[in-house]
Amino acid sequence: MDDSLYALYQELKKKKILFCYSGPISQTSLEGVGNTLRRNLEYEEAGNKATLSVFSIFVEQVHNILNYSAEKLGYGEDIDEGLRFGIIVIGREENGDYYVYCGNRIYNTDIPVLISKIEEVRRLNKDELKSLYKERRKMAPETGRKGAGLGLIEMARKSGKPLEYSFVTINEEFSFFSIKVVVRR
Amino acid sequence: MQNLLIEKTNSTPYINFNAVSGVLQIKGESFPENAAKFYNPVMEWLREYLDCTSEQTTLDFEIVYFNSSTSKIFMTIFDVLDEEVKNGKKIVVNWRCDGENETAIECGEEFEEDLRYLPFNIILF
Repeated sequence: MDDSLYALYQELKKKKILFCYSGPISQTSLEGVGNTLRRNLEYEEAGNKATLSVFSIFVEQVHNILNYSAEKLGYGEDIDEGLRFGIIVIGREENGDYYVYCGNRIYNTDIPVLISKIEEVRRLNKDELKSLYKERRKMAPETGRKGAGLGLIEMARKSGKPLEYSFVTINEEFSFFSIKVVVRR
Repeated sequence: MQNLLIEKTNSTPYINFNAVSGVLQIKGESFPENAAKFYNPVMEWLREYLDCTSEQTTLDFEIVYFNSSTSKIFMTIFDVLDEEVKNGKKIVVNWRCDGENETAIECGEEFEEDLRYLPFNIILF
């Protein structure tokens, strides 16, 4: 037996990654892991505000995977019953800040809309983000969508730093989308 | 009309809406996968209740954490109530939070800023 798992474990430790999950994800796993994550942050004495910000970004990111990942299994009539695939990493920057880093497959055709949504949020300062959040919250919900369209704005507000993102082309149909949100400690 | 009672789960709050006392309580955390679906029966109950009551109504919110799609539902609830108060109904919202939960206090303030008629009290404990 080789020792590649230990190498991976060491690599994660070295990179100050406190949590890493790759594979099928559901609301149930979000609830369990979210609870453990909060306890872990409390032990680390991250502070109430930072703990809640990291947890909140984690929830929004996982819901984005559940709503939008193009890699899925078992979706039938009821959209809430299926599994979606993605990868979630929570770690610490060199300076002690926390980050929540998520990735999933998306359809290439969805990329332009996603870029414009992220860029819109990246351009705004704290007060502008607050106004946009409140404006969107007052709007009637878009039909056929589970989310409220507030997740990206919420993450940017909790972060206080511009959202970082990238796309890697997988093939003609899919790309891998990743987004990283930093929380100041 | 019947009272509405929903037990809390790992991602949804305890909900106890009492049509007789006029006290509507929401307590816990809210980050369901599909907030619109979860709150649909709550919204229906509320609309039916408001159609038939003229008594004092108190909404007690004690929410430690809620996600962005829940935030939208809460705003919809407060907008409905704001309109009812404008038309003469006696309704008050108590937004209860731990004095150390800065985030929950700010969230309450942001709802309050967007309301015109509905009395919205932020109560710290």
